[in-house]
Amino acid sequence: MSSDVFKVLVLVPFPMSSDQLAKREEQRDEANLPNDVQLHYKTTKAAPSNYVSAMDYVIADIGLLEAGLHAEEDGFDAVCIDTVSDSGVAALRSMLDIPVIAPGRTMFLTALMLGRRFGVLSMWERWFGLYERTLRDLGIEDRCAGIRSIDTQPDSRNLLTGKEEDILPLLHDAAVRLVEDDGADVICLGSTTMHQAHEYLQQRLPVPILNPGPLSYLTAETTLALGLAQSRKAYPSPLVSKTDMISEMLAAAARSEQTTDPT
Amino acid sequence: MKRVAVIVPFALGEADLARRRAQTSEVRLSADIEYEFLPVKGGPSSFQSHHDWLLLDVAVLEAGISAGEIGFDAVVVDTASDSGVDALRSVLDVPVVGPGRASMLFALTLGKRFGVLAQWEPALARVDKSLTEWGLRGHCAGVEHFDTEPDFENLIGDKGAEVIPKMEAACRRLIESGAEVICLGSTTMHEAHRFLVERLPVPIINPGPLSYKIVELLLAMGLSHSRKAFPKPLVPKPEMIHAMLKSAAEGESH
Repeated sequence: MSSDVFKVLVLVPFPMSSDQLAKREEQRDEANLPNDVQLHYKTTKAAPSNYVSAMDYVIADIGLLEAGLHAEEDGFDAVCIDTVSDSGVAALRSMLDIPVIAPGRTMFLTALMLGRRFGVLSMWERWFGLYERTLRDLGIEDRCAGIRSIDTQPDSRNLLTGKEEDILPLLHDAAVRLVEDDGADVICLGSTTMHQAHEYLQQRLPVPILNPGPLSYLTAETTLALGLAQSRKAYPSPLVSKTDMISEMLAAAARSEQTTDPT
Repeated sequence: MKRVAVIVPFALGEADLARRRAQTSEVRLSADIEYEFLPVKGGPSSFQSHHDWLLLDVAVLEAGISAGEIGFDAVVVDTASDSGVDALRSVLDVPVVGPGRASMLFALTLGKRFGVLAQWEPALARVDKSLTEWGLRGHCAGVEHFDTEPDFENLIGDKGAEVIPKMEAACRRLIESGAEVICLGSTTMHEAHRFLVERLPVPIINPGPLSYKIVELLLAMGLSHSRKAFPKPLVPKPEMIHAMLKSAAEGESH
């Protein structure tokens, strides 16, 4: 097989500082990726403040679509999205021939390779709609044993840093309830921003814990190694691509954020 | 260096094993993992009845238990029926991967509905059983066969000119039925994969190579199957299982 390096673009769904981005990039070390896979992280130009409403979902979709639109011509071999919401994936798949990996979809299907019913462990109840949307789209609602949260508003930029002592025990308790009360035999972390909790939870729980970001990178490598990509039948191309329009829309969105409260 | 055992579901000789081993050259694999192809000691001669399926479950279970005793880091089964996988998962802590279920679930990462290409009409019952057991019937657009008796030893071999057009026609019927991704229904079809990819407009999943990549992914992430989903027996019986297969092999050699 080819000895070429696989270049993977990871789209981070919020504008952020380099320090904040570094916390996202830590996921690379948790994946034990082969040396011939290179990850390049890129933030979106604009984003919703969080992912809790239908308006947020639409802004997230267009922000990620714009961020990944030129991935193929920029020489990338695949695109990953750094959010379990799978925002922007369907639209990007309609535009790109290279694989676009959806961490949420991938995680739930991988869970079914390892067990019979999975649970979703989340930070916040207001994220449940995101999981339900993907589960419905996949038609596997009946394979989800339960979704539980620790009722804590997440920090999408600083993640769990500085809050570990408070948050990790709460996540552990909720995960135990998913296993013991709900019957989950695999647990899916409900956000790539929870990656800092993965090791703590895996050491303490008797079921596999799936870490969606690193899993998406390895799935990108698997998809590329097998010469696969999303089906064009499932994600048909538009008759007329509006790439310029999309770029201008996001430039306008970014300008708008600079003149208003960005939170 | 990690070692992965690939359990081959027929008691094949070296030349026939080489045709199975060729699957590892069809995908870019980690340089840190070695794949060893280990045939079962005995088993069915065909694969189309409950009698055959049960015998293969026992044979794969025995071979996989041996692999665990030897110290392999993971086990893959070289059949898309996933024969023996559930039983092996109940006794081994290292990852055990079946190409069949992995293929169908991986197909759903690429499209919404998959089709399954089966070998011939007698193979349909087993695909049907798998779709039910894995809860994936609603995601399957159809199952089509190409009406060719399987050759578990020589695989497609020199029959490509005759067989591949029939496989392509069956795949086109799947696409007409709404399949957005096609799963090859047997690891023995791997020699046809590259020809079908050239001819068809949807992703084609090659189950053997996919299963090696899934093993690599699980090993990289330190994951294995859930013990909650595959509980251990109260009393494991490895000696009994070894004895049964030893006897089966001796019976076959008479």
